[in-house]
Amino acid sequence: MGISRAKDKKRKLTGGKRKKWRSKRQARIGRPPANTKLGPKLIRPVRTHGGNTKYRALRLDSGNWSWGSEAISRKTRILDVVYNASNNELVRTKTLVKGAIVVIDATPFKQWYKQFYGENIGDLKKKKGEEKVKQEKEGEEKKEEPNPKQIRQQWKNKNERKKKMKKYIQKKVKRREGHTISKQLIDQFKKGKLFASISSRPGQCGRCDGYILEGAELDFYVHKLKTRKKK
Amino acid sequence: MTEQNQRAFQKQKGVFVSDKRRVLGRWVKGKSRLVKKIGLDFKTPKEAIEGTYIDKKCPFTGNVSIRGRILRGVVISTKMERTIIIRRDYLHYLKKYNRFEKRHRNLPAHCSPCFKHVKPGDIVTIGQTRPLSKTVHFNVIKWEPQQGVDAVKQFRQF
Repeated sequence: MGISRAKDKKRKLTGGKRKKWRSKRQARIGRPPANTKLGPKLIRPVRTHGGNTKYRALRLDSGNWSWGSEAISRKTRILDVVYNASNNELVRTKTLVKGAIVVIDATPFKQWYKQFYGENIGDLKKKKGEEKVKQEKEGEEKKEEPNPKQIRQQWKNKNERKKKMKKYIQKKVKRREGHTISKQLIDQFKKGKLFASISSRPGQCGRCDGYILEGAELDFYVHKLKTRKKK
Repeated sequence: MTEQNQRAFQKQKGVFVSDKRRVLGRWVKGKSRLVKKIGLDFKTPKEAIEGTYIDKKCPFTGNVSIRGRILRGVVISTKMERTIIIRRDYLHYLKKYNRFEKRHRNLPAHCSPCFKHVKPGDIVTIGQTRPLSKTVHFNVIKWEPQQGVDAVKQFRQF
C-alpha cells in the first residue's frame, strides 16, 4: 500500500510534527492518477471501497457535450486539448481532466440545428427582419414540397400531408423568430470546431463530458489563448 | 471585470452565465447572482448582493453552509488572501487556587470579500462550516468594526 490520504503525516497548524500512532489503512488509500489522454477508448474498472466501481479512463476520444443555451446534448469527438488553468504540462501532453478546455467536433450540433430550426448555421445572417422570415417561410414551403413524394405512401390524404408539412415548417419558422446565436459561435461552427469545457472527471467515471463554452466564459478563454499564442 | 484575475474563469456554481432567459426568485434583478440567507437571523451584507466578486467559500454567495458552532473573536491578522486570524480569549479555572488564568486560542477563518476593510482589532462573528482548507473550518458571518488600536491587546471574553 503506497499512497495514503490520511492526514497523519501532515504537520499541525502550529508547525509541530504529528507522531505516528497507527499504520496505514486500506480505507484511506489513494491511487495513482489516471492522466487520461486523447486516443482510442481505453477504460479500466477499479474495485473501490465497499465493492463499488470506479472507471479509470486511460484514453478517451469522445464524450457527451451539452449546448447550454439551446439545452441539448450530443455525443462528439474530442479533437484537441487547448487550455488548462492549473498546468500547462497537461495541455502539452493532451491530458483530459475536469476543467480543461478542449476543441470538439461541431457536426452533430450543426445537424441538430438544421433539423430543429430548418436552416444551416453557416448560412446565418446577423440581422433578421420579419420580412426576411416571411420570405424564408415561403421559400421553405416551395422547397419542402418535392420531399413529400418520398413519404407519400405513409400519408393517406394529400391535403392532410400538405397541412402537416405546413405546420411543421411553421413550427420551425416560429422557433427561428427572435432567435440568435452569437457571432463567435457562428465562426466556430463554420470551422467545424467548438470550444468546450470538461465538467466530468474522466479518471473517476470514465467519461469525458462537458459543455460548450459560450458568452463571457468563451470570451475569457479565447482571450487567454490569444495571449498565449503571442508569447 | 476585476474579479476575473485568475487563470480559470471565475463563476458561481449554479449560475448559468450564458443563460438568455433569466430565472426569477432568489436571483437578483438586473444581474444573475446567487445570494442566499445563511439563517440564524444573520443579515446578508449589501456588498454580497450587489458585489461582483466570486468566492465559492463565501457563506452568502458560495457553496458553504453555516452549521455547528457560532463564535466571536477579535481579528489579529488580515495578511492572507480571503482569510483572517481571530483571537479568542477565555478564563481557565484552577481548582487548587480557586482562581482563574487567562488563556487564548487563535483561529483561522475564511473572510469573504463582502467584508471589506476588516482590520486587526475588529470584532467578528464566525460560524462553523465544513473544512475549507487544512486549518480553516470557520467563516466570517458578521463584522463589527472597532476604533482604537489597542483593542487587540485587551482581554475580551465574549
